[in-house]
Amino acid sequence: MRSKLIYIIFVVGVLMAAILVTIILTENVPNSGGATHPEIAGLQIGGDGAARMEHIGTLGLAFHCLLLAQIVLLSLLGVSERYRSTELIAYMGGSLIFMLLVAWQMYSGHQQFLETEETGHFLGFPTATAWATYGTWVGAIPLILIYSIGFRKYIYTPEDEEKYNELLAEKAERMEQE
Amino acid sequence: MEAFRQEIIVGAVVVYMIFCVLTGLWAMRRTRNTSDFFIAGRGLGPIVVALALFSSTLSGFGFVGGPGLVYSIGVSSFWMVVISSTGYAIGFFLVAKRIRMIAELRDCISLPDVVAARYGSESVRFMIAVTIVLGVMGYLATQILAMAVVMQAILSGTDTFANIGLVTCVVISSAVLIFYCVTGGIIASVYTDVVQGAIMIVAGMLILFTAMNVFDGGMQEATSIILADDGEAAMPYGAAGMMASLGWFFVFGLGLAGQPHLITKMMMNKEMTDNRTILPMSLFGYVMAALLWISIGIVMRAAVIDGLVPPLALPDDAASVFLSVFANPLLAGVVFAGLFAAIMSTSDAFLNIGTAAIIHDIPKSVRGKSIDNELFWARVVTIILAIVAASFALYSHYRDATLVAILGAFGWGTFAASIFPVVAVGLNWRGATVAGAVTAISAALLINFVTQLAGVTFPYGVSGPLAAFVTSMVLFIGVSLVTKKPVLDSDIDRMMDI
Repeated sequence: MRSKLIYIIFVVGVLMAAILVTIILTENVPNSGGATHPEIAGLQIGGDGAARMEHIGTLGLAFHCLLLAQIVLLSLLGVSERYRSTELIAYMGGSLIFMLLVAWQMYSGHQQFLETEETGHFLGFPTATAWATYGTWVGAIPLILIYSIGFRKYIYTPEDEEKYNELLAEKAERMEQE
Repeated sequence: MEAFRQEIIVGAVVVYMIFCVLTGLWAMRRTRNTSDFFIAGRGLGPIVVALALFSSTLSGFGFVGGPGLVYSIGVSSFWMVVISSTGYAIGFFLVAKRIRMIAELRDCISLPDVVAARYGSESVRFMIAVTIVLGVMGYLATQILAMAVVMQAILSGTDTFANIGLVTCVVISSAVLIFYCVTGGIIASVYTDVVQGAIMIVAGMLILFTAMNVFDGGMQEATSIILADDGEAAMPYGAAGMMASLGWFFVFGLGLAGQPHLITKMMMNKEMTDNRTILPMSLFGYVMAALLWISIGIVMRAAVIDGLVPPLALPDDAASVFLSVFANPLLAGVVFAGLFAAIMSTSDAFLNIGTAAIIHDIPKSVRGKSIDNELFWARVVTIILAIVAASFALYSHYRDATLVAILGAFGWGTFAASIFPVVAVGLNWRGATVAGAVTAISAALLINFVTQLAGVTFPYGVSGPLAAFVTSMVLFIGVSLVTKKPVLDSDIDRMMDI
């Protein structure tokens, strides 16, 4: 997996493109991208949410999940191959699972609201929206912690610093000779 | 204090502009060469870089357009903001370390310099430089117009300047911008960003507190009002729908690492290890400032639906009406100063990279070498570029909005689609080829340009920038995989192994 990472990123990208094309070609519904508010100028409404989700809900969820996977894969691409240890991959995998959980909670919560027209609230927002707002924000925090806390272990180790300083020394030597 | 609301606001903005001028004079003493002018000599500390990074991300859009969008389409617009943690994470994982290393190894002073070094190709340099110039023109024109419109709105509320014209405001605001950019270059820019960032952090927190007290039930009452009026507007994907929201997640999340005015700041830190602290600090600043975006938009939509305030003439009035109706005059003054600072900060960042593209990168890609007296010409071109952008802005306002709209299409989305694959992926993958880079950039420009000009719309809220970005990513990797493997320069090859 470590050396084939770019192929996995490519395949995920192709799948995302395929989903986009499928959505674009799917039977459209009125006001699928929103509509003007019937009474208040300047406001948009979503209208019939169930109708909008009927044809593309699952595709949209799949796109969301692939996007989250792509984010983690690209983050892994930014780590040198020799540091893509099982431990790091486990951390990244855990981050992805958390983000997928958040995505599922917001999607299923939205579906539930469409069916029942009822929702709880959490910290000022309807529950599904709270998952979207706080969950998405917080969802990438594990990646940030991996980067900051694991900086000298995965991103720029003392050995890396030595190699880089060697490169700079060689550059200085070349410039002196010139 | 209420009786002096306008004077307090004007005073805060004037104080900030004086600060900008003084900063320009101070920075001029520290600017001795083009490296200082464009990348601050790679000598900045972590706090300065962190604040500069996040405040360049949030332009006036974060104060005006953002709240206006939340007002207009509800939660959909949240997706431009809540993906910030993702965007910063991706940016630092993929770009921060290697761009800083290449910059020092090859004495790069611009993003096209970096791609030329990475790919060993002047054609890639040229294409990135042209993309930057096109994007900068559109962005700068809209930012200068926004600055002037805000200034006019502020000053026209006073007796002395009640009839001040837009042209006068363009001249005044552009003059301050040009002065500190010409004198102090990027050094002036980043240190004004530090103050701007601090203002935005404070303003964001205070605005959130104010917004939570508009309704007795706080934010929950506001969202309940919106929910009762239209469920979708308050639900996770908002009025614009699922694919519009996810499209913004993609374009604004991943796309952050493709914004030239942001990632060039990653070349400026003194120590590589500072990146471990810059990332969380930048994100913290952005989150605090973005509280303003979300809270004003939600509260204003609820307030209009509930009849607390009359419907807005324009969604972009959300922030100014909120400040005039609900905010303490001192807070309003701070926020307006912050708004001005935000617009100027983004403007100076674009002015700087646009100048670099014009006097450094395009000549180098065409002639094979830099021009003489580069620092002098950098200052001259900065002035010319700002004047041209200001002229575009006025022309679009009074005569024909098409030109700026066309150039405005070369905005965040085009930068994201053109630059992210080439830089963010290319800096981490040896197999990336010149053919892949050229194909990706061309496809990104073409799709964004055509969809904007031809008014192409896709169903279910799928956007042109999203289509362009997904396409350019696939093409970049796909074409690279099937074209001849590149032979990298030895130092670049070893750098990519680190």
